Amino acid sequence: MRKILLSALLSAPLWVLGQGFQVNLQGQKQIGMAGAGSALALDEASVFYNPGAVTFLEKNSVSAGVNPLLFKSAFKQTGSNVTEDVKNKIAPPFEFYAVWGPKSNKWKLGLGVYTPFGGLVDWGDNWSGKYALTSLNLKAIYFQPTLSIKITDRIGIGAGFVYNHGDVNLQRAIPVNFPDGRSGKATLDGTGTGYGWNAGLYIKTLSNISFALVHKSKVITKLDGGSAEFEVPKSLEGSFPAGNTFNAELPLPATTSLGIGIPLSKSTVLAFDASWVQWHIYQDLSFDYATNTPALVDTKSARNYRDGSSFKLGINHQASEKLALRAGVGYAFSPVQDGYVTPEAPDADRYILSAGLGYTPTRHFEVNASFFFEDVKSRKQKNIETGLDGTFKTLVYAPGISLTYKW
Amino acid sequence: MKKYILNSFVAAIILFAAACKPEIETPAGTTAGQANFSKYIAIGNSLTSGYADGGLYLEGQKVAYPNLIAAKMATVGGGAFTSPFFSEEHSNGSGYISLTALVNGTPTLTPVIDKLAIRDAAKHLDKYNGEIQNLGIPGMRVDLAFDPTLTFSAANPYFERLLPDAQVGKTNYFQFIQGRNHTFFSLWLGNNDVLGYALNGAVTVSTDPTTTLTDKVTFSSLYANFLNALTAGGQKGIVGTIPDVTAVPYFNTVTVAALLNAAKAINPAASSIYIQTGTGAVRPATAEDLIRLPFQSEGIFGKPNGSGIPYGLHPLNPIENKWVLDKDEVIKVKDYVNSYNSSIKSLATSKGLAIADTYAYFNQVKTGINVQGVGINASFITGGAFSLDGIHLTPRGNAVIANVFIDAINAKYGSTIPTVDITQYRGVKFPN
Repeated sequence: MRKILLSALLSAPLWVLGQGFQVNLQGQKQIGMAGAGSALALDEASVFYNPGAVTFLEKNSVSAGVNPLLFKSAFKQTGSNVTEDVKNKIAPPFEFYAVWGPKSNKWKLGLGVYTPFGGLVDWGDNWSGKYALTSLNLKAIYFQPTLSIKITDRIGIGAGFVYNHGDVNLQRAIPVNFPDGRSGKATLDGTGTGYGWNAGLYIKTLSNISFALVHKSKVITKLDGGSAEFEVPKSLEGSFPAGNTFNAELPLPATTSLGIGIPLSKSTVLAFDASWVQWHIYQDLSFDYATNTPALVDTKSARNYRDGSSFKLGINHQASEKLALRAGVGYAFSPVQDGYVTPEAPDADRYILSAGLGYTPTRHFEVNASFFFEDVKSRKQKNIETGLDGTFKTLVYAPGISLTYKW
Repeated sequence: MKKYILNSFVAAIILFAAACKPEIETPAGTTAGQANFSKYIAIGNSLTSGYADGGLYLEGQKVAYPNLIAAKMATVGGGAFTSPFFSEEHSNGSGYISLTALVNGTPTLTPVIDKLAIRDAAKHLDKYNGEIQNLGIPGMRVDLAFDPTLTFSAANPYFERLLPDAQVGKTNYFQFIQGRNHTFFSLWLGNNDVLGYALNGAVTVSTDPTTTLTDKVTFSSLYANFLNALTAGGQKGIVGTIPDVTAVPYFNTVTVAALLNAAKAINPAASSIYIQTGTGAVRPATAEDLIRLPFQSEGIFGKPNGSGIPYGLHPLNPIENKWVLDKDEVIKVKDYVNSYNSSIKSLATSKGLAIADTYAYFNQVKTGINVQGVGINASFITGGAFSLDGIHLTPRGNAVIANVFIDAINAKYGSTIPTVDITQYRGVKFPN
C-alpha cells in the first residue's frame, strides 16, 4: 500500500516550479525536514503548512523562531577572470505562531506571522552589474488568522485569511557620470499591502498514513506612492525631478502542495511534500512614476516567470522522550527562464539539504533548532533586457532556532 | 546529550566554513593560446592614442583601448605596455573640450586650457622620449604613413612629439613603427583616409593632404605593406575594420529636421533648409543629407546676409558645401569604407590574423545595444560611447571596443585574455 502510494506520487507529471523570491523557512521542525510536513500535525507551524492539520494538534501553544539567512551569491562576467560576491548581509526570516482551542473540541484557532517571500542581496555600489542592480531588500510579512475544524476523527479542514505587509528597497546605478567620474544612482523605496488566503485539507487514513492538500492563494501586493530618488549631476536634475514617487505591483504566487506523511515506526515518520508554485503571474516588474520626463519614462521589465515546483523529503525521529532528530533533502525547479535571470534573484534549480533537532526539557517547553542549506546551481546567462552577461552561483545558509510554550 | 548537541553544532559550523563561498570556474586568464603577448604594440590613429573630446590628454591616454587590452593581457603572459603619456603637470595635453552646461538639452562646450603640454608658440607638444608600445598618432592615415616627403612627421604635432629632434621631418610612420621587436600587434588604421575628407564636408583642400580620399587600390597595397612588415617575424596580431563614418554623432546630431524645427520656432512659415551640394547645386535638404556637428556652435544658421536673406533658409543663401555631407557624398564615403574594409579583411585573412570588426560593431551601436546593463548608442552626449567631439570614444566606448578586440583575439588564437569590465569606465561627464 505504501509503496503504491509513493510510486503513484512520483510518477505524477513533474510540476515545473521555481523558487524566485520564495523563502522556505516557516517552522523549525519542518525546516529540519527540508520544508516537508504539510501532512503532519507536527506543531503550531501547521498554521502555515496546512491549516487543516491544526485542529489535530494535541496542545495549545505559542512559538517564535528566527532563521538568520545568509544568501551567498557570486557573479563572474562572461570572459572575465574576476569573481564578485554579494556582501555578507543577514536576512532575518522569522515566524510566530499561536494555536488555541478548547481541549477535546472539534475546532482550533490559529495565528501565524511569517515571511514567505523576501530577498536581501547587496552587490555593492561598484560591481560589474551595478547598472542592472546594486541592492534589493524585499520583505513580505504575512499575518494569517486561521480556523481549523475536525470534520471526522480523521479529516480536518482549515483556512486562514492572509494580510501581507510588503517592503521593497531597490537600488541601482544610472550610467550618467558626475564630473568626478562616479555614476548616478536610483533608489526606489516603498511599502505595500496585499490580501490572500491559505486553506488545507488533512486526512489520516486507517493505516495512519496521512495526506495533505494545501492551497495558498496568490497575494498581489500593491505599492503606492513609494519614493523614487535619483542622485544625478545637477545639469540632469530636470530630467530626474526630486520628490518623485512611483507605483508598482509585486505579484506573489499561489502555491499548491500535496503532502504525505508515512509513519515508519512509533518514533519515526517520513514526510514528503510536492509543491507547485504558480509563478506565471510574475510577468513583469513595472514602475509607474508620478512624474515622467523624456529621460525618466515608466518602465516595464519583462520577467516572464513560469511556474516552479519543489519536492521535499524529510524524516523526524524521536530519539528519546526529550530529543527529536530531523533531516531532509529536496530539489526545486526554478521559475526563471533563460534570458530573464537578474542579479535581484539569481535563480536556478537548487538542491536542498537540512538537519534539525528538538529538545523538550519540560512538558511545557520546547526548543527546536535547524540548519538549512541550499545549493543553487551555477547558471550562465545573458539577460535579454539589460545585456548583463555572466555566470551566477549561489549558496544559501540558514541556521535557525525557535522556542515553544505548550499547555 | 548536551555533548551530542554541541558536537552537531560544531560539525555544522565546520561544514559551513568549508563550503561557504560559492566558486565559479572559468578558463578566463589562463592561456595565451597560440599567441605570444609578451611584447604587444598598437599601431593606429587618434582612436589608438586615446584621443577624446577633441584633444589628446592624460585621462584619455590611460584608457585608450590598447592600454585596456594590454592590462588584461598581463594575466596570459603579457609584458609591460608603455605609452607616451603626458605628465601630471601637463595632464590636459593638447587641451580638449568639456561640457559645462546643459540647458534644455542644449550643451555648452568649453575648452579646457589649463595644464596644457604646449611647449612653444608654434603649439608643439611636450616631447616624449623613451620606448613606447602605444604607437597611435592622431591624424595618422594609411597613405600619409608612407609620406615620401617625410614632412608629415614635422607637420603633425602628435608625431613630432614622439621623435628626437634629429628625426623630425626625416621619417615617416611606416618607418617609425618598425624594428620594435614585437611579439603581437594591433593595427587599426585607415579611418582618416576617408574621415578627413568627410569631416571637411567632402571638400578636398589641395594644400591639405589630410582632406583627401585615399585611392582604393593604393589603400590596399599600402595596407599590405603594413601587414608584411608587422608579420615579418611570424608575429600574430589583430586588425580592426573601419567604422562607417556616418555612424558617429558628428554627422547625426545636427539633423535637417532639427534645423527646420528650430527655424519654424522663429518663423512658422519656414518650409525647407537649403544646402549647397558637392556639385555646387543648391537644393532643399533631405533627411539623407548630413550636417556636421560644429555647425551647431558656429552661430551662422538663420543669420541674414547683406541682402537680408537668412542663412540656410533660402536658395540664395544656402548652407555651404563644407558643412554638408550630401547624400551623394554619403554614398561615396560609404563605398570607400566598404572597399577599404574588404581589403583589410582579405589581407588579414590571408595572413591568418584576427579581425576586430568594428565596422559591424559600430553599426550595432548606432541602433543601440545593452552591454552589461548599460545602454549604449550613437547619440551625442547621452549615448555614452562617443566623447564630446562626436567622433572619438569615451572611456566607456574604449572599454567596449577593447572587448571587441579581445573577443576576436581569443576566438582566433585560442587565448583567454579576460574581458574588460566596461561598467568601471565613464561616459560623458555631466556638469554638477
